[in-house]
Amino acid sequence: MLFFQLTGRQIRRSLSSGATTWIWVVATPLLLLAVYAFVFGVIFQARVPAGLEVPFVAWLAVALWPWLAFSDGVLRGAGSIRSNAALISKVAVPRAMLATSTQTAAFLLQLIGYAVVLLVLMIAGIPLHLYALPYLLLLLAALFVFSFGLALFFSAVQVFVRDLEQLLPTLFLFWFFLTPILYAPDMLPGESGRWLLLNPMTWWMEEIRAALFEGKWLPDRVFLVLIAIAGAAAWIGYLVFDRLSPHFEDFL
Amino acid sequence: MNAPLLRLSGVRKTYPPTVQSSQRFRAFLQILARGRSEGGTTVLQDIDLEVRRGESLALIGANGAGKSTLLKIITGVLASSAGSVERRGSQAALLELGAGFDPEYTGLENLRLNAALLGMSRREIEEKLADILAFADIGKSINEPVKHYSSGMVVRLGFAIIAAVSPDLLITDEILAVGDESFQKKCIRWIEQYLDQGGTMLMVSHNMYHVQKLCRHALWLEQGKPRALGDVHDVVQAYLAWHERKDAAQVAATPSSPHLPSVKQLEIMVPAEDPAVVGDTGDLAVRTVISSPDGRPPVVLFGIVRADGTPVFGISSEEDRIKPRPTADGAWQVSVRFRQLQLMPGDYFVRVCAMDPEGLRACDNHDAEFSVRYPTRQQGLVRLQYEWLAHGDGHPGPP
Repeated sequence: MLFFQLTGRQIRRSLSSGATTWIWVVATPLLLLAVYAFVFGVIFQARVPAGLEVPFVAWLAVALWPWLAFSDGVLRGAGSIRSNAALISKVAVPRAMLATSTQTAAFLLQLIGYAVVLLVLMIAGIPLHLYALPYLLLLLAALFVFSFGLALFFSAVQVFVRDLEQLLPTLFLFWFFLTPILYAPDMLPGESGRWLLLNPMTWWMEEIRAALFEGKWLPDRVFLVLIAIAGAAAWIGYLVFDRLSPHFEDFL
Repeated sequence: MNAPLLRLSGVRKTYPPTVQSSQRFRAFLQILARGRSEGGTTVLQDIDLEVRRGESLALIGANGAGKSTLLKIITGVLASSAGSVERRGSQAALLELGAGFDPEYTGLENLRLNAALLGMSRREIEEKLADILAFADIGKSINEPVKHYSSGMVVRLGFAIIAAVSPDLLITDEILAVGDESFQKKCIRWIEQYLDQGGTMLMVSHNMYHVQKLCRHALWLEQGKPRALGDVHDVVQAYLAWHERKDAAQVAATPSSPHLPSVKQLEIMVPAEDPAVVGDTGDLAVRTVISSPDGRPPVVLFGIVRADGTPVFGISSEEDRIKPRPTADGAWQVSVRFRQLQLMPGDYFVRVCAMDPEGLRACDNHDAEFSVRYPTRQQGLVRLQYEWLAHGDGHPGPP
């Protein structure tokens, strides 16, 4: 109840208020998509991996928005405790809820953009395998849990280690380029593509693309691994948060 | 049957050192590894208290005694470093001005969020919304962002929400100091009604009148330690006496005082009996001896004050160009006679005030008590000369 109210508040804050905001929810992702189409399609002439008959922009967009949801969720969630310091030091708020509602709101907002982008891709005639949609939703749910755990972890640690506030966005930019979003793993020279498998986000991106472009609809062992990673992140995030949160007020 | 709503035992609070980032990092590792950090400043210790239903408690103490920190520990905003805090029943706190309000949001949005934080469901909030708005009585400002509110409006809104929740234990920190007169009265009325209906309050206040009016017990904190806990009147009296002693000690410790005149003696010469009682149209004669360390004659003020502090009459040796006479031991002496005292019956003081030779600074005061006694049915402070007039023509009428 309180969680939904806090999440709703965060979403409303991001949209600010006024009649034009819902237009922006749709327009912003489309504008972003147009920018990527121009830069990668026209300037760089980037190509999709062999064997796929889709434009590069569509191939990129399908993976880019889940990444945005993930990283936005973690980064905003991580800052939530520090930015709500005034509230925390005066009212007995359930603190974990501040972090998770911020993370949830950021994640959901990007998912709305994702839905818009997928819709536009379909209208544009890109062949997406719709019967794989349930598996896509499962993958996104697991990604949400992963983002949830990291947000809890970093929001708690950031109270004590303030430098993290500056460091995290850079780390996530680095992570973004280490994840095959702008490129496919097999485009890397030699065996180096295999190192990418150590990055859990590689697995998510590969699975999401496989679902939408190849119609992979049945969860297999890969999905179990992803659930395990997400679950472990959420568990560790919760443990660390639970340990640190009683001391927040002293360090804010 | 009456389990305590709140029980604290052996509570201690130590703020960890947080200035340098290395200290923060060390504390971070210690908390991760052992669940607590070391070092720091202790601001509260040895706090044991119980609050039972219907037994409101006031926290009193000088600034910096740890009252607000203790409230934060009780509400759960702050974790205690040692000891245990047990809570039972619902609890709502109004800690500081604007606590929990987001300045960017409108009053209404903040109201909903705060009520939700206090555990009200969406339906309850809608049901009580009209009551809350009526109690807060801030009109259309409810749709303005809270950053445009005056401090009084913020308190009104905050208190209205608390009042709607009507918790088992109400925790307030010096909130009555901000609202205007009528809102303060409204709050007090609400609190009294709430207490009558079995509510319990834990309050921090510097207003001893409110404390004694609203609470049954008081805890006096001094530098983070409990100094006294018990019946509100006893504790408040001890606390006020401590303040008076502290004031007196400060006055005595003023470094310039040895060089300033001080009253050595004040004596009522007429009437001679002790205690001095003046009758109808009696005289009052007073003598004072004042020491003046720099050897110059001091300026002396005499005054008559009623026992409740109402000043009646005052004179100054400087205005009347009277010079104190030197005594044999190097002090100065002044005597004065008030003839045919026209005071109404009652208890009075004659007060002498020694000033520096320039007549600029009041240095020392002394009071001597006397009473005026005689039978009369007239009213007031002094007897004025009067006569009844016949037919309102301004001429004396027949006796």
